[in-house]
Amino acid sequence: MGTSKRVITREEWEKRLNEVNIRKEDMNKLVMNYLVTEGYVEAAERFKMESGTEPLVDLASITERMAVKKALHSGDIEDAIEKVNDLNPEILDTNPQLFFLLQQQKLIELIRNGKTEEALEFAQEELAPRGEENQSFLEELEKTVALLAFENAADCPVGGLLDISQRLKTANEVNAAILTSQNHEKDPKLPSLLKMLVWAQSQLDEKALYPHIKDLSTGVLEDHSASKK
Amino acid sequence: MPASASSNNRPPDLLCRLNSGDEDTKLKALREVKNQIIGNKTKKLSYIKLGAVPTVVDILGTASDSDTCLLIQSAAVIGSFSCGVDVGVKAVLDSGAFPHLFRILSNSDDKVVDAAARSLRMIFQSKLAPKYYFLEEEKLEFLLSLLNSENENVTGLGASIISHSCETSAEQMVLSEAGVLERLITLLEGSLNLRDVSLESLAAIIKNNSEIISKFVNLDSGRALSLIKELVKDRYPRTRLLACMVLIAIGQSSPCHLRDIGIRTKLILTLVELLEESDRVGDEAPFALARLISDKEDLHKLALEVDVLIKLCKFLSKVPIHAKRLEGILVALSELCSKLENCRSQFLTLQVLHLVTDALKHDLAEVRTAACICIRSVTRSVKNLSAGHYFNEMTVIPLVQLLHDPCTSVQVAALGAISNIVVDFKIRKSTFIQCGGVKHLVQLSKSMDAVLRLNAVLALRNLMFLLDKNGKECILLELTISTLASLICDPEPSIQEQALALVRNLVDGCVDSIEHVFSEDGLIINSVGRQVSTASKPEVCVQGMYVLSNVAAGNELHKEAVMHHLLQPEASEYTQSVIIKFLQGSDSQLRTASVWGVVNLTYPGSPGASDRYARLRDAGIISQIKSMVNDPCLDAKFRVRTVLEQCMTFPSSSA
Repeated sequence: MGTSKRVITREEWEKRLNEVNIRKEDMNKLVMNYLVTEGYVEAAERFKMESGTEPLVDLASITERMAVKKALHSGDIEDAIEKVNDLNPEILDTNPQLFFLLQQQKLIELIRNGKTEEALEFAQEELAPRGEENQSFLEELEKTVALLAFENAADCPVGGLLDISQRLKTANEVNAAILTSQNHEKDPKLPSLLKMLVWAQSQLDEKALYPHIKDLSTGVLEDHSASKK
Repeated sequence: MPASASSNNRPPDLLCRLNSGDEDTKLKALREVKNQIIGNKTKKLSYIKLGAVPTVVDILGTASDSDTCLLIQSAAVIGSFSCGVDVGVKAVLDSGAFPHLFRILSNSDDKVVDAAARSLRMIFQSKLAPKYYFLEEEKLEFLLSLLNSENENVTGLGASIISHSCETSAEQMVLSEAGVLERLITLLEGSLNLRDVSLESLAAIIKNNSEIISKFVNLDSGRALSLIKELVKDRYPRTRLLACMVLIAIGQSSPCHLRDIGIRTKLILTLVELLEESDRVGDEAPFALARLISDKEDLHKLALEVDVLIKLCKFLSKVPIHAKRLEGILVALSELCSKLENCRSQFLTLQVLHLVTDALKHDLAEVRTAACICIRSVTRSVKNLSAGHYFNEMTVIPLVQLLHDPCTSVQVAALGAISNIVVDFKIRKSTFIQCGGVKHLVQLSKSMDAVLRLNAVLALRNLMFLLDKNGKECILLELTISTLASLICDPEPSIQEQALALVRNLVDGCVDSIEHVFSEDGLIINSVGRQVSTASKPEVCVQGMYVLSNVAAGNELHKEAVMHHLLQPEASEYTQSVIIKFLQGSDSQLRTASVWGVVNLTYPGSPGASDRYARLRDAGIISQIKSMVNDPCLDAKFRVRTVLEQCMTFPSSSA
């Protein structure tokens, strides 16, 4: 290609960056949004005191949400369900997908703990009716019950269900649903901003040479490696 | 039996503990019931069956205002019973939970208020919830206080009540005058949780009310409207759908606000895109699309240009498809194929007809109905019908089977499709007759249900159109002269009209067919004559006159019979004949039909023509026709000229 890229020097670039005015309060809101969404209650409280930034949700509700998350991480599904229902009974009543995911996780925990008979009874009484309502639930249920058929369930084709990652997946879904019910975005804004930064840089790469941010954790501007053709 | 933790938490045990005198036991039991039924339809139903709902409502009703835990838990249980199961809503309402829940809305504890508001909102989401009559001043004030509350759940309840109960234009006006539109716009810009319910209320307030719509679009110099247009692009699918619905409501009553081609295209594309959603949103989207393009040819064109038909057909072929969604897609397709020929031909080339035919056998009556309507729409195309290869026994046989469907609306829709299919092509008519279709149609023409009767006679009328002699006899044999005569005298004018049109098609063409109206002592011709002279609806008289005109094209005896019926005075106090009345009337079709009759009666080739001419002249009919040479209706005018030309040939014409 014949078109040569425009070269922007570090001085020029920094001058331009300095011209962009970002309000301190907006930056603080971004940080608060991150702390609240990720559930760092204590940090959020400290940050509120230090910066005067008001969180958009009641900080007590974060504690409750984190308690649900903790119960799920430790495999106590029943406790988690009760806590979600105390927070807001609508969440699981109006979200069959999520409710099924929790029931499925409960079944997985029963199987993990070797409570085979209880697991079968639970699958039959509680999960089978959900499978009748929804074809994809039925498939998931069949997969989960298949765990019982193997001597060493962890090594079987559906052994992944016993992975800790399945618990985390369930916990994340529940966390997102609680956040949505509290009028909160389910993902923090900061990571998507960083993604946009990376995307914008790669778009710009096609047109110009300029100082990059390569290490997102430091945000230091690095000069482009001059490769002139 | 394993010692499961839930063994003493079976529904009957828990119900027993709900009735316990001990507060703590009661509270624990309530929580346990709540945790069992949330998300679990089976459990809800089994508790409802055991009669748990009145017990819980009783706990709610008797707890004091300071028993916040009992209030919260019982309200939450009631809310869950009302969520997703109609029998639950019914049980809750029957147990008198409504006033208790409203009462605790003013409790001083926020959590109690939250629980009550949530439960009431659940109830108001059901069609079974009673209408909230806010035209009463006190109730309006209360509703406004809900809507203006700081508590999001309470505000949401206010909006739910509006979307459930605002129906009449008086109700819409009251809310609009109370500033509710402005409040809802503010809510749209606020909390995410309130946006959807605010959009729903907005749609309820503006629906079919052009006065409120013009107020709404001018609100804040158009900011409200542009806000809704923005929400069509929102990231949440349900919000997009509801915003589309508000715009559709605006476009239906005041199309001037939705002229912009950009927003129209955006609406169409957004709704089609929403079909990708796997939940309720995707199920409702095709219905909204159908409403948007309903009866609007320009929008059909636009939809065709942006490949909506192709996309809809693509979704139609996705399996498994949810029944509601299938119904919606069929409804949208029917709408799209209802007017434009190129829509119909594109539909047929997409080769999805077999899927629609399959849907004729669906378990759900709504789907079967929608499939019939879709076929009716597509078969409006004379061109495609005559091409012949699309519609064969694969479509005709299931349609005939639907004629004895247990659901009336399916039967009516099947009749509609059959009426089109049998219109005019030999092969399909004979397929239809061979598979026993006539028998079913005749049965339905005797139904007690007037709509069924009407549609059955209409289908028979179309089947009779240009049918060969054998076919006509086959129908008459099944229908019988006496049934046909009673249909001509049916209490419903619309059925009289179709029955007469059926006879008109029967006597069209060959002289032999005319004999049928004279059989059994002239039962049919006499009924026709009576209707022509007594019916008050012009449409009935038009068809009756065409029957007489067709009969007048027969032999001398036939013509004389028509003369008899036309020249008798319509009632004793008038000396005027019925045909004079029609010729002088304002209905142009009736004038045309009447002149046609005279054309056939005075046709010069027949022996008695000259004599009939003289009698018509003496009755003042010829001079009446002469006065019509410049009739505003072209059809009538041309036929008048034919009469006058024929008259020139009679010796006494110059007199």
